[in-house]
Amino acid sequence: MSDTKKTGVFNDLYQLFFAKHWPVWVGAILAGALNVLMFGISGPWSGSAGYSSWGKNIYDSMNMLGFDGTQSFLENKWAMLSIMIIAGSFIGALMSKSFAIRIPPIGEIIKGILGGCLMAIGATVGIGCSIGGFFSGVPSLSGGAIMLTIGLFLGTIVAVKYLFWEMEHLPKISTGKAYTFLGADEGKGNWQKWLGIIVAIALIFVAYNFFQTGHNIIAWFVIIGGLLGLISQRSIFCIVRAFREPFMSGDADGAKGIIAGILVVLFGFVVIKTMNIGAGDTMARAIEMKAVHNNFWLRGLLGGFVFGIGMTIAGGCAVGTLWRMGEGQIKLWFAALGFVLVSPISSKFIVPWVEDIIPFSMRFKNYLPDYLGYSGSIALVLLILFVWYWFATWNERTGKFSQF
Amino acid sequence: MEAKETLDTKGLSCPMPMMKLAKAMKGLNSGDVLEMLGTDPGTKSDLPKWCEKSGNKLLEGKDLDGGVFCFYIQKK
Repeated sequence: MSDTKKTGVFNDLYQLFFAKHWPVWVGAILAGALNVLMFGISGPWSGSAGYSSWGKNIYDSMNMLGFDGTQSFLENKWAMLSIMIIAGSFIGALMSKSFAIRIPPIGEIIKGILGGCLMAIGATVGIGCSIGGFFSGVPSLSGGAIMLTIGLFLGTIVAVKYLFWEMEHLPKISTGKAYTFLGADEGKGNWQKWLGIIVAIALIFVAYNFFQTGHNIIAWFVIIGGLLGLISQRSIFCIVRAFREPFMSGDADGAKGIIAGILVVLFGFVVIKTMNIGAGDTMARAIEMKAVHNNFWLRGLLGGFVFGIGMTIAGGCAVGTLWRMGEGQIKLWFAALGFVLVSPISSKFIVPWVEDIIPFSMRFKNYLPDYLGYSGSIALVLLILFVWYWFATWNERTGKFSQF
Repeated sequence: MEAKETLDTKGLSCPMPMMKLAKAMKGLNSGDVLEMLGTDPGTKSDLPKWCEKSGNKLLEGKDLDGGVFCFYIQKK
């Protein structure tokens, strides 16, 4: 009898976490809370820094482009976080028996690579991606992040128009031979659950080893990355969906979810910045300026625009790409490859050129509280979030901007 | 179940399956049934919501072997 009860309890838990996707707002709020925690431990969540670190490590290993002395990916917390997001998502996909190697038609793979390359250029030019520039940048009260967000919107709209054009005029790009391997058979696939448990134990073991060797920050980032991957995979936490869907299906759940997450991050970041948590009095300004970069206004706008096009064509933003890799979506593996390989090249060759042609008055650090005070800055961010919420909800009801 | 057309989105990832579904539904007459095959996990959440919003009727959804799912949708 007690065994039956025990099975029932675990079955309920399994059904709760893995039978269906979670609402986006649940995932976004949890991801927001983990972002605050990361700021408390080390710094606001950055997505593109992980891709860039991987790229530099690859070029360094081949003695190319002069990236000697690059910090190893084992010591870089963002590189570690990104790999653990893939691992966490892999666990989520396995536990829900939804893992499979999904190979799309060749045209989609090329779109993945191009999207990844554009994300790399956008993130390096704009100094931030959908995570560092938006999900961390806006709650950091950075003026540049707001311009980057406007760029993301504009880039997404342009790329959505392209996708519809492509479907009408070049349908062969998304048709052709596709393959799926290792997917669970109907009513079976328990091997995926067992493998998920094994990978989860391995992830905990990796974190434990880092703790044992005194690498506490990396160890926490292993755990946080795993959780972020799991949460993102289960809740379809993806910034590109929040920006794109009002102009496609009209669904507002993604936008509303991300807004809920941003509110959590805003609350946590403002507490950390105003209380100077993690800093003595002399470091207070450094803490305030975390996730505030030299990108106000044109540089952020331009970078966000290019990133917005890239993430929409790739079908995954900085974090959406990672957790879809964990689900076995090969298109996003190629998007990540483009992102990883082009990030260092863009930093080395494109960014200096951009800095030459954009005057400093259009690429400086704008910390909103310096101009509006904390109250005014928070009010501005809340107003922007409210306008976005209103637009997404109104559009969902009226279908004014949605295509289907 | 009898379907007038089959839409194969296997291997495609978000947002292509939903875009192709919307396009395929436009080409059908009222009452016609479309069979959709796919492998993108997100589509399994998106599709029922879209049917509810668009007024098209989701007749059946089931998992097949190899991680493939199948939906039958009737045009309103």
